Amino acid sequence: MEFIKNFPFFSIVLCMISATISSVLSGKNAKRLSMFVVSAVGIMSALVLYYVVQTGESFVYLMGHHAAPWGNELRVGVLEGLMAFFFSIIMMLSLLGGMKQIFKDISEKKLNLYFIMIDLLLASLLALIYTNDLFNAYVFIEINTLAACGLIMSKQNGRTLVGTMKYMVMSLVGSGLILFGLSVLYGVTGHLLMPNIKESVLALTASGQYRVPVLMTIAMVTVGLAIKSALYPFHNWLPDTYSYGTPTSSALLSSLVSKSYIFLLIKIVYRVVGFDVIAGSGILNIFFVFGLAGMIMGSVRALAQNDIRKMIAYSSVAQIGYIYMGIGLGTKVGMYAAVFHIMSHAASKALLFISSNGLSLASGNGKEFADLRGAGYRNKLAGFGFMVGSLSMVGIPLFAGFISKLNFALGAFESPAKLMPTLLCLAISTLLNAGYFIRAVIVLYTPVAKAEQPENLYKRDYSFIVSVVCFVILNFVLGMFSGPIMEAIRSGLNMFA
Amino acid sequence: MNRNLLLLLPMILPILAGLIVFFAKPMKNRKTRNWFVGSFLILNLLVTALLLCGPAVRVELFDLMKGIPVLFKLDGVGRIYTALLAIMWTFSGFFAFEYMKHEGNEHRYFGFFLVALGALNGVAYAGNLVTFYLCYETMTLVSMPMVLHSLNKEAIKAGFKYLFYSFFGASLGLLGIFYMFQYTTTIEFMGGGTLDLAKLAGHESFFLVIVFLSIIGFGAKAGMFPLHGWLPTAHPVAPAPASAVLSGVIVKAGVVGMIRVVFYIVGADFLRGTWVQTAWMSLALLTVFMGSMLAYKEQVFKKRLAYSTVSQVSYVVFGLSLLNADGVLGGMEHIVFHSFIKNGLFLTAGAIIYKTGKTKVSELKGIGKEMPIAMWCYTICSLALIGIPPTCGFISKWYLAVGSLQSGMTFFSWFGPIVLLVSALLTAGYLLPITINGFFPGADYDYSKLEKKEPNKFMTIPLILLATGSVVLGMFPNAFASFIQTIIETIM
Repeated sequence: MEFIKNFPFFSIVLCMISATISSVLSGKNAKRLSMFVVSAVGIMSALVLYYVVQTGESFVYLMGHHAAPWGNELRVGVLEGLMAFFFSIIMMLSLLGGMKQIFKDISEKKLNLYFIMIDLLLASLLALIYTNDLFNAYVFIEINTLAACGLIMSKQNGRTLVGTMKYMVMSLVGSGLILFGLSVLYGVTGHLLMPNIKESVLALTASGQYRVPVLMTIAMVTVGLAIKSALYPFHNWLPDTYSYGTPTSSALLSSLVSKSYIFLLIKIVYRVVGFDVIAGSGILNIFFVFGLAGMIMGSVRALAQNDIRKMIAYSSVAQIGYIYMGIGLGTKVGMYAAVFHIMSHAASKALLFISSNGLSLASGNGKEFADLRGAGYRNKLAGFGFMVGSLSMVGIPLFAGFISKLNFALGAFESPAKLMPTLLCLAISTLLNAGYFIRAVIVLYTPVAKAEQPENLYKRDYSFIVSVVCFVILNFVLGMFSGPIMEAIRSGLNMFA
Repeated sequence: MNRNLLLLLPMILPILAGLIVFFAKPMKNRKTRNWFVGSFLILNLLVTALLLCGPAVRVELFDLMKGIPVLFKLDGVGRIYTALLAIMWTFSGFFAFEYMKHEGNEHRYFGFFLVALGALNGVAYAGNLVTFYLCYETMTLVSMPMVLHSLNKEAIKAGFKYLFYSFFGASLGLLGIFYMFQYTTTIEFMGGGTLDLAKLAGHESFFLVIVFLSIIGFGAKAGMFPLHGWLPTAHPVAPAPASAVLSGVIVKAGVVGMIRVVFYIVGADFLRGTWVQTAWMSLALLTVFMGSMLAYKEQVFKKRLAYSTVSQVSYVVFGLSLLNADGVLGGMEHIVFHSFIKNGLFLTAGAIIYKTGKTKVSELKGIGKEMPIAMWCYTICSLALIGIPPTCGFISKWYLAVGSLQSGMTFFSWFGPIVLLVSALLTAGYLLPITINGFFPGADYDYSKLEKKEPNKFMTIPLILLATGSVVLGMFPNAFASFIQTIIETIM
């Protein structure tokens, strides 16, 4: 059993090695290798999760057996295991669902590059989840950004290039802020490992020294992460990047990449700065306000979209607003809800991206609502998948989204000043979500005369079917049996502190 | 068999049957489908009857979250509502066999028709707030396709209007649910309320605002001012049997929501004498008057009936807002009575549209000569809605007036009955001219052009039964009233 402790390290290294190997493989073989790696990581993460739940405590893995403060550490608790496991599931299903489209969208010579990016992305996601070292985190943030750029750009046309440029500029601004913040933090505390930094930060706040620099670093790191995860006023890059890439890229970007930054942020809140220090600094209030603004504005913009992918992209802005709102509540339950929403949003949004691709295929590659009329009849499974994703986003009970909303509301009750805005915005955003998602579903099921039907390019595709069915099941599991998952999140966050 | 599981049948069976109608190939054939739907509706009647004969049952399915189970149970209000559903769905279903011939896309209609029955049964049985919200939203979603059935621009617009009003209402309800979750001992429906007064101490005034908002929210479905706007838009475009159940039964889901929140979560005692009661009552009375007035002015037949629904459902709401035994009794009785009457009226309108294509009131001269059975049923139902003894409308309005006079509120105790009276006059004013012009078309009516247009038995038999029902319920009201009294004893 002790051997399992090596698995987090193994899974990161496995991804890196296979990325290297893929560079000399053909596209098909690179794909096989990637699928193998993702499933291997999934299995290893499941074992890690099992191990941590069994032992009931987190462990620290010393890289190369160098002890702190020089060594490099991974830290694994219940939450890390859960996230790694969940992320690899989502990645697997997104890859499966968009596989055919990947082979269509990307020229054959560059196919293996796409899978290199996938491997690197997984490596960086895992590293961001597991790392206990802030500088390491920064390195993998960069890898993550570059891999994400590659994923968007892989479908080469003008729009994706523009989208990538936007993404890269905004992301690098974010990374720059993070790097700057981290160096100041290093200068003030003299440490890079999270627990050590926390110790000195607590000592500094107790003594009142370096108040401004510490506050500034917190602000810079959090704003940097907020830009990278597309919190509302920094969301400009998001719609372009999500709407034009190949669907797997969009699904991965919206459900994993932006979430990994948020996860790192939560980690920093708990393990670097300390929850109480953050709560005292007022930064959470800023998150809260921008989160609420994002919830409303993202949905309002989504209402105005004519393109189904853009609509889904803007809805991501709204959903990320939910997560920041949960963090901003500054209560334990709010934080649980935020973490749960990371999962529930990932499950629904990836499903929406994948099934919307099936729908546009069935409508002669059209993405405008005018083309999509009746698409739900032409590709029944994709229509059903889209409907499930939509209902989850709207927050109908039995689906994942409702549980998040309920938890957010519960979280709000512990923070009376924020109670009313939270509940009102939840109610309004439910209505707005219903506005555009239900409208889309109705368009999909509006029958069209045979003569007007666009060409149906969808051919039976088993990997697509498996992916959509699994996503639908995942949504129902999150919505109906959230008890154990919430329990895991709770114990995981308690291990953080 | 475990008796408790029987409770799930009226929810699962209609949904399954609806799916069969959607997807099974033989259901494309009209005759097979009508046989299937017809026998299913009868089966549903039997299952419901079996359930109603038995004792109270309770099923806890699984936990959505810690402390929030999906819970169904059968209590008094649920019994009334599910019985109403089974009966009205059967009448409207049989009527639709004939009526839907000229609307097309019948299998889609019947599919959603049955699925909606399942969801509404869920509304009747829901045992806690979250389950109720689940069924309520599902019901909105699956009943909307019945509104936008014809899929022309107007219908789609009306469908969206229905959807948005309902969702807006439901999201206000959800707001209330979040809040009530915090300040109650349990969110399970318990007669008399489950407020945790110790926890609530200091937050009462704010809690009242929340309760008021959720009342408004559920009022959207019930057509209560200010969220009544969807009713007159949705009804004229929906097929007549759909408007019949929409107006007769589905709007009552909003009323059930109010009953659940006010009497089963918050408790009547908490609200009595607060500003919420006054505001609620004022809104109800305003809607009663406004609905009648608008109906009086309206020239499109089905729209006139829709405004009439706005007004009549608020009779029920007014009764509930009195928060005393007689008022609630009158209100609950009116739920059932209005359902019989309004179903009858809408089905008559449907029969007229089906046979003659006439939609305006002014075109209906001499209609009584062409379709005597339908118009007789219409007349009887109209009299019942106005409240002329011995029809049922008299009974419920009597209790409403008594409840109002006994309420002890200085202004409303006498003002309420006056509004009810004026509205009854207006009701006579907008319903009876159709009968009068129908049977007595005047001297210039050209009798030579008269042809018999009586619809066939699929249409007339439901009409006759509904009209008979609205008289019989009025002549023998005691059994029903005493049943409601047993409910009231548990919630007051």
